Amino acid sequence: MKNYILFLMFLICSHVYVEAQTTQKLFCKSSLLDDLPVQAQGRIKPFITLATESIKFISNSTKLNDLNASEVFCLLSLQSIGLESNLDIHVRVDHANVKKFLNMQDREHSIQSSLILPRYEELRSEYQTLKVNDSYKKDLNKVIIRVELLQEIISGRLWTIPEFSQNETKWSPLVTGLTQEKIEAQNQTGISGFETFFTNLKNEYNAKNPNSTHQLEYHYKRLNLFSFSMLLCLISIIIGVVANKDRFLVITTILAVALEIVAITMRVYISGRAPITNMYETVMFSGIGALILSLIIYAQKRDRQFIYGGLGYNILCLLMMTFANDMLDSSISPLVPVLRDNFWLSTHVTTIILSYAALALSWFLANMVLIKIRLKKITTAHFNYQVQLVYTCIKYGIVMLAAGIILGGVWADYSWGRFWGWDPKETWSLIVLLIYMAILHGKYSSWINNQRFIPLVAFAFLSVMMAWFGVNYILASGLHSYGFSEGGAIFLGSFFMVQIIILLVTWPGIKSRIEKLDQLEQVT
Amino acid sequence: MNLLLKIEKTIGDVKFAVIIIAAFAIVLGVGTFVESYNGVEYANRSIYKSLAFMALQFLMFLSIFYATVQRLPLKKRLYGFYVLHLGLLMIFAGAYVTYHAGVDGSLTLPPNTPARSVTIARDVVKIKYLDDGQEALYELPYTTEIEDINQSHNDIKIKRYLPFAEDETSWIKSATQVPHLTSSEFLIANPQFNQKFIMSLSEESEFASTTQLGPLNVHYMPPGLLPCFGENNQSKVIIWDMFLQKCFIPEKYNLKMKTTASGSRFLAITLDGKLLKFLPDMTPLAVDDQLKVIENSPYRVFSKNLFEKSPHLFLFTNGAAFFDKTTEKWDTKSFENKSIELPWMGFKISQIKTSYLEHPKKIPTSVKPIHENGQTVFGAKKALSVEVDGKNFWLTNEKPLGLLIEGKKVQIEMVQKEITLPYQLNLVKFKMDTDPGTNNPASYESFVSLFDGKETQNHHIFMNNPLKYSAFTFYQASYFKTDQGFGSILSVNYDPGRWLKYLGSLLLVLGSFWHFILRRIDWNKLRSRMQNQSKEI
Repeated sequence: MKNYILFLMFLICSHVYVEAQTTQKLFCKSSLLDDLPVQAQGRIKPFITLATESIKFISNSTKLNDLNASEVFCLLSLQSIGLESNLDIHVRVDHANVKKFLNMQDREHSIQSSLILPRYEELRSEYQTLKVNDSYKKDLNKVIIRVELLQEIISGRLWTIPEFSQNETKWSPLVTGLTQEKIEAQNQTGISGFETFFTNLKNEYNAKNPNSTHQLEYHYKRLNLFSFSMLLCLISIIIGVVANKDRFLVITTILAVALEIVAITMRVYISGRAPITNMYETVMFSGIGALILSLIIYAQKRDRQFIYGGLGYNILCLLMMTFANDMLDSSISPLVPVLRDNFWLSTHVTTIILSYAALALSWFLANMVLIKIRLKKITTAHFNYQVQLVYTCIKYGIVMLAAGIILGGVWADYSWGRFWGWDPKETWSLIVLLIYMAILHGKYSSWINNQRFIPLVAFAFLSVMMAWFGVNYILASGLHSYGFSEGGAIFLGSFFMVQIIILLVTWPGIKSRIEKLDQLEQVT
Repeated sequence: MNLLLKIEKTIGDVKFAVIIIAAFAIVLGVGTFVESYNGVEYANRSIYKSLAFMALQFLMFLSIFYATVQRLPLKKRLYGFYVLHLGLLMIFAGAYVTYHAGVDGSLTLPPNTPARSVTIARDVVKIKYLDDGQEALYELPYTTEIEDINQSHNDIKIKRYLPFAEDETSWIKSATQVPHLTSSEFLIANPQFNQKFIMSLSEESEFASTTQLGPLNVHYMPPGLLPCFGENNQSKVIIWDMFLQKCFIPEKYNLKMKTTASGSRFLAITLDGKLLKFLPDMTPLAVDDQLKVIENSPYRVFSKNLFEKSPHLFLFTNGAAFFDKTTEKWDTKSFENKSIELPWMGFKISQIKTSYLEHPKKIPTSVKPIHENGQTVFGAKKALSVEVDGKNFWLTNEKPLGLLIEGKKVQIEMVQKEITLPYQLNLVKFKMDTDPGTNNPASYESFVSLFDGKETQNHHIFMNNPLKYSAFTFYQASYFKTDQGFGSILSVNYDPGRWLKYLGSLLLVLGSFWHFILRRIDWNKLRSRMQNQSKEI
């Protein structure tokens, strides 16, 4: 062992001697490592995914000075094979009391790893003495997990390296997988041992596993098509406002859709399942679903407001996917066993999310109408026409929601013999349906006229948000564990508040702003 | 007749529908919060499966029914509406059939052990007459707390049923009121920590006379022993007279400690001409010549030596005794309504209550359960009170009740309802795959053999692949670990309402598509009207 370390030291030193003047990265170059296959969290992925997700989780950033996540990850791991790398990364700390415990300033958001690593045991014993599962304990736990992950990287156990034997590929941690002979053998060729080693490793793995998706995932990560798609959506809106004809708007929108579909298809291919298995994917799917749906409805009804609605909502979704990382986890992880049925998963969840997309469209349009009326007076016929636009979206939404709930019942019946079990997720999806049904029945009676219909539709979408996010972030996290202080609940609370403020500003006096040029008509 | 028509008209009215749909939504919304706070079972018992909610569902059924009937004869415009609402009625009907005649239980399969009894989540009281093997069953209602069930079986009357209970301590009048059989509640506290605890000498109480508080050993003793603890006599031995409930020290009667050949201390007392021998450093009881313990000796002899090394606290209804390591002396103090300072970490002890007329008793009390992180952390106990011969007894799902009624041994227990399958299943193998490189389960699979009395069939049950056999369907639900390997839990289901629900679902989806999507709206007319109005402005 001692020899082995000495040898490595020698190797790296000689290597550094040649190149150190220009770079501190040793062989830890993004271009070499990014598409290297690794096995982590139950699947094969490119190094860039593992590195970005880990470093982002630990330090809430994918960069450290001029180093990117892959390089940081690699340099940290080098310590396990006997190399001195003085990388001191930031460990994220959120809660004020945890900061106090770590003697941090209130305005600091992270602590140097050299300061927190020696205090690991202290953190653990503090965690164990806490009885109440409050936000302090929860954040302390998160910090502990971050430190543990960092320890795992430093110890070289997180980075796995393939070993080939006949038809099998075995995975072992860097610290045991990089054997002396391997590097020695590579060194004979005269080129830098590690670079050749990893290049050969990649080539051999790709040759032996031609169906591995890690290459594709590497491109998926690097291309970041969702950002381009978001940009195209924004451009479409501008074009729509500027151009007189619908044609240009439709073309750029279709381009945005196509780009996003390419990204989603890549994701489907990587994960091998329908793109609807976690919050991130449902937000993504509802955004693109609403946009496609708006194009379909546009094709029938020829009104570009549908497309605006679809674009606006899709941009909101893409923004959430890009910036709400605490709430929406973009990583691809293996599913729990009961969900591993692609047919039911695709049909049931897709239908539900598409229905949420349609209802989101109605919500977006309803708010647009409300704000429009607040800003300028409109005619009854114009208003009734707008109501018809919103109502059309709702009709699509509830038909799909009813179908989706029933598909869920059939899946549940097929999987565990129970059509309905009053599980909070299914109960809330039923509540959504009931609330929209109450509004529609009210619309058929004299109780809900068009002026009440629009604000109620805007309000009713809060039930969708509750079913979609609230069940996971408020009900499931346990009402006793003060779950309200966490990312998801804060998002939901703000959403509710913004919607209620919009209603408070726009609803009163709505009647006086609709010109009565002819008799009030009910259009159904 | 007229009134009936009026009621039908009201129920079938669309405004009534709005009210009933909104009410339904509100109840469900409350239900999901109740479930999150108080757990699934409490939500089921108090809301989803309560009578009131059933009534609400029935009203909804009526509302849909009359709304449909009132729109007859058939109008072409409403075809979608008819199909949709007929579908809803069928789903309700199917759900009722399932509720009434369906079976939803679970079958636990330990490895290689044939099983055939399906457990259903309903509590049942089982009264077993142990002498003649007779059994009686009574199914308890699926509600929250209920009083006065008043169901009698021979001499046993089932009274109160608490599906969510926790023990609460109450002080109850003792049947045998003996002055030295006391019970006390104490409070031990220092600035960082405090704890109440109850100790009892009464045989009627389930509270013990010794306990452990962290590193501290606490002993609760009859009051007559206290004076002798303070005597710092040389032998450090106390003699306790069981009958007089009084203590004395050997020095008082000039009793000398002797030493045996093996070096143990030895004391001999002559009582009524009989010689009693004690080895106080071994046991407080008398021993015979073969050094066997005599259980019913009238004297006990304690050696305080035994309690000096580690912290021991002796509590009495009138005071406390302990060995102070700094002074190397035994110290006694009496309570007299104030707290006593102890020589450990600034702790003080005080007596909150003491009595021999009453004794503390744990009695199940109905509570609202608390659900945290996927499990019920408070109120997970189920309790039942029965009355026998005018006396009240409690039993719980954890602790059955054993009684002697008119000389017959009877055991009353609360168990889950069971039905027996006409065939048996045997778990041959249980397989669990994990995701590569992790311990996360990727699939659960049960390989079972089914024996119906004639032949054996082999089946493979896994997630999304149930076994259907004679009306029942078996699903992979869960697993557990045993010494012999993994056991499997299958959920067992019989659902006669299934076809109605499926057909209703189909009609509902088709009907709503027909009603909402296929009906035409004249958009051009709407648009031209809008443009005309704009021109007028």
